Amino acid sequence: MSLLALEDVRVTFGHRVALDGVSLAVEVGERLVLLGPSGCGKTTVLRLLAGLAVPDRGRVLIGGRLAAAEGRLLVEPEQRGLGMVFQDLALWPHLSVAGNLELGLRARGTPRTDRRRRVRAMLELVELGELAGARPGELSGGQQQRVALARALVLEPEALLLDEPLSSLDLELARRLRTEILRLQERLGFTLVHVTHDPEEADQMATRTLRMDRGRLAG
Amino acid sequence: MRRLAVCAVTLSTLLPLAACSRRTASLKPQAQRVVVYVSEDQVFSQPVLEAFQKETGIEVRAVYDTEEAKSTGVMNRLMAEKDNPQADVYWANEPIRAEVLRQRGVAEAYDSPAAEGIPATFRDPEGYWTGFSARLRVLIVNDAVEKPPRSVLDLADRTWRGKVVLANPLFGTTTSHMAALFVRLGDAEARGFLDRLKANGVRLTTSNGESADQVAAGQAGVSLVDSDDAINRVRRGDPIRMIVPDQEPGGLGCFVVPNAVVLIHGGPHPDAARRLADYLLSPDTERRLAEADCAQIPLHAGVPVPKDVPSLGSIRVMKVSYAAVARKMVEIQQELKAWAGY
Amino acid sequence: MSPVRRAVLGSAVLLLVVAGLLPVAGMILRSLTAGGHLGFEAYRGLLGSARQWSLAGNSLLLAALTTVAALLLGVPAGVLVGRTDLPGRRLLAALLAMPLLLPPYLNAVAWMAAGSASGPVARVLGEGAARTLSHWLFGLPGCVLVLSTAFMPLIMLLVAAALRGVPPRLEEAGLLAAPWRTVLLRISLPLAAPAILLGAALVFLLALGDVTVPPSFRYPVFAVESLSQFSAFYDLSAATAAAMPLAAITAAVLGLEALVSRWTGAGTAGRGREPGPPPTVPLGRFRLPAAVTAWSVAGLLVGAPLLILVLRAGGPASYAAALGQAGGSLVRGLLLAAVGGTLLAAEGFLLAVLGVERPRGAGAAADATALFLFAVPGAVMGVGLIVLWNHPWANLIYATPLILLLGYLARSTAVTLRICRATLELVPPGLVEAGRVAGIGWGRRLVWILAPAAWRGLAAAWLAGAVFCLRDVGMTLLVHPPGWDTLPVRIMTLAANGAPELIAALCVLLVAATVIPVGLLAGLVGRMEAGS
Repeated sequence: MSLLALEDVRVTFGHRVALDGVSLAVEVGERLVLLGPSGCGKTTVLRLLAGLAVPDRGRVLIGGRLAAAEGRLLVEPEQRGLGMVFQDLALWPHLSVAGNLELGLRARGTPRTDRRRRVRAMLELVELGELAGARPGELSGGQQQRVALARALVLEPEALLLDEPLSSLDLELARRLRTEILRLQERLGFTLVHVTHDPEEADQMATRTLRMDRGRLAG
Repeated sequence: MRRLAVCAVTLSTLLPLAACSRRTASLKPQAQRVVVYVSEDQVFSQPVLEAFQKETGIEVRAVYDTEEAKSTGVMNRLMAEKDNPQADVYWANEPIRAEVLRQRGVAEAYDSPAAEGIPATFRDPEGYWTGFSARLRVLIVNDAVEKPPRSVLDLADRTWRGKVVLANPLFGTTTSHMAALFVRLGDAEARGFLDRLKANGVRLTTSNGESADQVAAGQAGVSLVDSDDAINRVRRGDPIRMIVPDQEPGGLGCFVVPNAVVLIHGGPHPDAARRLADYLLSPDTERRLAEADCAQIPLHAGVPVPKDVPSLGSIRVMKVSYAAVARKMVEIQQELKAWAGY
Repeated sequence: MSPVRRAVLGSAVLLLVVAGLLPVAGMILRSLTAGGHLGFEAYRGLLGSARQWSLAGNSLLLAALTTVAALLLGVPAGVLVGRTDLPGRRLLAALLAMPLLLPPYLNAVAWMAAGSASGPVARVLGEGAARTLSHWLFGLPGCVLVLSTAFMPLIMLLVAAALRGVPPRLEEAGLLAAPWRTVLLRISLPLAAPAILLGAALVFLLALGDVTVPPSFRYPVFAVESLSQFSAFYDLSAATAAAMPLAAITAAVLGLEALVSRWTGAGTAGRGREPGPPPTVPLGRFRLPAAVTAWSVAGLLVGAPLLILVLRAGGPASYAAALGQAGGSLVRGLLLAAVGGTLLAAEGFLLAVLGVERPRGAGAAADATALFLFAVPGAVMGVGLIVLWNHPWANLIYATPLILLLGYLARSTAVTLRICRATLELVPPGLVEAGRVAGIGWGRRLVWILAPAAWRGLAAAWLAGAVFCLRDVGMTLLVHPPGWDTLPVRIMTLAANGAPELIAALCVLLVAATVIPVGLLAGLVGRMEAGS
């Protein structure tokens, strides 16, 4: 059984077809990269998996369970147990770095001491222990990137969805962060679905690469 | 900083809420409170009600009417609230409204001991309302006018063509006055008077106050207003005179408009209501209202009045039954509407 | 849909329906069943008389002229304070917006004082000038002057906000080919057209329904005279029937506004998600003349009346007397405003959330309902509330300030809804989506993410809500429980035969009570903004 799967999905926004007849399966522990130009529908794939978009046709399965089908959302995003890093990061500006990490744990009812311990450990892991009290606005681009990553990972998701999180960074920093993500994945063992338009990035990250073009999987 | 703001907002919300709940909790019917709806101007009525509160310890909750926004009459509130009265007492600024309340079953009979000495003309025979402190319906004349009219009926004479203003007869004391003329003169003669008045080019204003102002400013020569409107402007030094009309022997007499106190049927605080009624009907209240700017005329004999306020004994009063006037008012409503151009 | 979401948003919608729609619906029903059976009896007298038609003509003329004047003032003012480098533009915006925060008749009181025989005009320019002014004021011109001053800020603020929401790249693309003047006229303002249209519709309706200013200037209008049926003939059904044309016109104008704004492609201007403020338009050599003109107009329309009131009020003795007469009303008004503001901010926020989540269905319906109720004349709402709530079983509501809070909710939710909605649309959707993926449920997302992210809008909504509670007259006058009158109501009732100094002092107190808290809070928010 695949961890995540799309079965013949079609997504439209008004008259525009974003995805058409896309099927894919993500296996536990693999690092799948979706590679394609902007507007090819790769972000929509991630949003379908996360539950932020619903297919007009076809099915979405999470852990073998039907999560969305034919225009209906069956499992809400908050119940899917996935982590996601957004292209614009979407850090909560009114919360500190630690607060950003803690919020999801609070929602799950994790006890306070436990929460604190896990947040601290995760921040150490991404080398941000010093900045726990800072606001996102006070951090550099690379630091923000790592906070977003840590926020997704602190919930120990089965799979991590990355939506071009490195596209706005300079080449050197992007390369360093990719190494860091790989290191984390090795340590924590999550499944990775990564979206990018950069072939070099795909080469470095992927155990498997799928190319996308104009709403379809190519090749 | 932000936490501070949150605290500030929370506090500023919760404190008033707490205050509100305290107020509302104490809104339950109690003996020591009375709710009064007031049509007399707040400027004059509020001091009287405050004095009552101070002297008796009974808390007065008042709803005042406003002359300006005619849409707000407390009368309508009384009527709308008939099945679930909120008020105990209604202080009407004229008896016709009180009469209407009696006819609609909103009023409760009460024979106040304080009413002794008030002439029977100014009281409902069954005690549904009792009059006190009155205004007169008087002529107000600009000083430039050399030979002023002596009777209300003179206003329809050719002499006064284009020089008369009159408050809209669909509202207030002007309505009652017209109805009183219908009762006193008979329909045909009163109708004739109104027609001649109209043919004489009478202009309508929105209120007696506006009429008085127009006469004071010389925009009109003469008008028919309440005595307080006239006395006020004399005291202010405006170039006008007040004439109590129809005083010659055998004449119509001057139409007198007393305040009236009405107890509300089924009001929540009946005992306090009676005490307030007694207080309003006392010679002391009448003296206070005579001395105030409203310059109202006491109905009890022997209450001292300022020099520029006429006393009841010196005036020939128009003999009409206010109940008859109230009934006539309803009867001629459509006619007045048509006359005023509605 | 999560059950929490359904419950919370459902109750917000229900509250609006119960507070606002039910009273209006109840009135319609009652006017149709006058005389014990279904029919149009109550309406017959209304439509049949020539007087009513001429009154309706007066009302429409007043509303139309007020709208035109407010547009002529408000659109340029919105451009100047919203986007240009005009000197002191923030202060100017605050000054011009002030009349919106106050009951319109305050301005009427001031202008009448200006034209009085003992007023400043008489003293400076002679009695003849004062008479001319007073002669000119009484009637239509005075009403237009006061009402357009009072409602113009709506247009100014809507235009300024819309212009700031125009995506900068659209303007930048234009600037490559044309100067700012052309870009503003051909690109920015057309994109702000829906806001201008909405502002015009609201001004029209508010002017149509005002019952405080026309009687002051002795200008007979439909809203006043028809509602005074209620007074003159003690007939609730007739009064209700008389109020119905106003409600119908309100619904029609707002419907038309929605239709036209959809047709012109509304919504393109509002959703700017690009961070940072829009570029400032340099006025260049027009900077000085524009500043002089704008400040003179503001001084004449807002500063002068205030100054007249202060002069007329005189020394501290008047204020002491005013506080003695109406101190309780002032405190009550502020208490009610604080609580009302909180309720309004919460209700507006929830309905704005609904609007963002369901922009076409329920959200749009809630928005339209709130706007309709905002424009329904206060006195109509007041009568509706009495008819609906004056029953023994509802004494807990009718006989307590709760009835006022319900009325405020009905009347002003549109204001807080629109403010919250504007702020929420600036919150990047990713913030909420990140919360969803992180396993945070709907209710907690609202409290933990959305509300903090939109706190500035919430604060503004609270303030605006409180101010709209404090300034209400038409509705409060009718339904306030005994002993619960507010300062604006007290001023109205004292105005009959009250001493002019006292009335002026009361007006100044009301201005202070409104403007000082608003200024302090605005300053606080500004400082926090600068700090973060």
